[in-house]
Amino acid sequence: MSRGSRIPNLGGARAFVLHRPHATVTAILRQLAAIGLAADDCWPELPAEALAADFVFFDVDLGFDQQFPWAPGEAPMPTVALIGSEAPGRIEWALSHKADAQLLKPVGNAGVYSALLIARQAFEARRRLADEVAALEARVAERQTIVRAVAALAAQGAGDERAYRQLRSLAMGWQVSLEEAARRIVAMRAGEDDERSGRA
Amino acid sequence: MRQRIEIGILYARSGSYRLVSEAGRTGAMRAIADINADPAGPVELVPVERDPKGNIDRYAPLCEEILRSTGARHVVGCVTSWSRKETIPVLEKAGATLWYACPYEGFEANEHVVYMHACPNQHLVPLLGHVTPRFGADGFLLGSNYIWGWETNRVARDLIADAGGRVLGERYLPIGETDVARLVEEIRVTRPDFVLNNLIGTSSYAFLKAYAELGRDDAHFRPERCPVLSCNLTEAELPAIGEAGRGHLSAGPYFRPADGPAAASSFEAAAYASVQVLARVLAIDPEAGFSDLPAIFARERFATPFGRIVIDPHTQHATLPVEIGRIDGDRFDVVSRTEAVAPDPYLSRYDRAETFGRPRLKVVS
Repeated sequence: MSRGSRIPNLGGARAFVLHRPHATVTAILRQLAAIGLAADDCWPELPAEALAADFVFFDVDLGFDQQFPWAPGEAPMPTVALIGSEAPGRIEWALSHKADAQLLKPVGNAGVYSALLIARQAFEARRRLADEVAALEARVAERQTIVRAVAALAAQGAGDERAYRQLRSLAMGWQVSLEEAARRIVAMRAGEDDERSGRA
Repeated sequence: MRQRIEIGILYARSGSYRLVSEAGRTGAMRAIADINADPAGPVELVPVERDPKGNIDRYAPLCEEILRSTGARHVVGCVTSWSRKETIPVLEKAGATLWYACPYEGFEANEHVVYMHACPNQHLVPLLGHVTPRFGADGFLLGSNYIWGWETNRVARDLIADAGGRVLGERYLPIGETDVARLVEEIRVTRPDFVLNNLIGTSSYAFLKAYAELGRDDAHFRPERCPVLSCNLTEAELPAIGEAGRGHLSAGPYFRPADGPAAASSFEAAAYASVQVLARVLAIDPEAGFSDLPAIFARERFATPFGRIVIDPHTQHATLPVEIGRIDGDRFDVVSRTEAVAPDPYLSRYDRAETFGRPRLKVVS
């Protein structure tokens, strides 16, 4: 996001509150409705449609892994931990679910709005970072492909330095990443080898 | 025998925003008198009044004193958002309700507050929606240094960007500060299309006076070319502004009509409406407390100076008309009116295209 402030458009967003019926749930649902979200509470399990929700609030005091249709820490949306007891084991469990924000119980007249904004921002930052890491890992995994492509070009008599420069300019010409260009060269080379061995 | 019910009145009778506060107090007291004058009315309201004198540290203790020493469970009052936020913990502790009759910056929906004046989708959004196509979208933002100015200008920055404009400056003054020379100089050199004025009280009067002088030297700064916009300026403050205000614009739920007996300003009208709605609630249930309000709001319509209105049971904000008024002497000419705008205190339903139209492509030559 390039701009520091945006009118946070939460209208029509969908939220689930995973908590047994309680005054805290009433307070959270009231605040969510006032902010303009459609919200439901549920206990002891999140329904399937929670997978499409924009936010999930979950109880830490009585929560357990099987309540969620996803593995711990892999919620596909921002989550907010509802913490009552600060027992270290419970905090540890909440951490294993990688909550993006927290609310301390009992919840009164405020707190939900800031939790929504903080959770959304933290979730997006976490997801961006995960995407970046995945992209970098993929590139690291392609190192061998690049080495093979450079070797293939060098085998045509170019020398390592020039072969690498040639690979880069091919990538630019084809408008693909260096890794993709390397994959193509390796594939072409393999094709040539097949032809040769077929002829032989 | 009519039931006598005490209600708190918490308006400052002195201090830098006294004119606004007095307008609210006048509306509340007039409504109490009108309700009590009706012999057939089901309740008699007994005002319990405290005067915080515009001192921010006096609001919470005086609100607590009303709730502790009398039977009052409802308090009408507060002008600044700062004072409203100061009293909220006291209301929560006592299970009481504040009837707040001033425009504010939004992003709040406390179940111990009923918001009877405009929030941003009922003042700032329609005001900029009206102004930017007519005057241009480049703005200069002013505010008194507290939450009203900060938050209103923050939303304004986004709206101006959505309208395709630029924020040419943003400046704050301490409440009560009247040295505006630097602000005016910055406005002179940046030449915006409009100035959004979130200064309050004496700072605002000083600014408008200096701006009128600037307009005499340079025609760009006359109201027909570069108006000063306000989301909280009403007739209550026009006597303090005088001719310097002429032609500038304000948004609100109500401006005093040219003829006929009526509330003198929207502050007065909103405080009057607060007491009317409260009296109706108490007629339904003399013991009604904060937790009973949503159910009553969900089914009732209320007669007020704004017409028959509803109050959103989820946010406890009033549905209000939106008017844009142009200052003409001691009153406003209404240049635009929209009926029954539902409150959206979190701007959850804000739609750029609806407010500013589809972005147009610029011709590049």
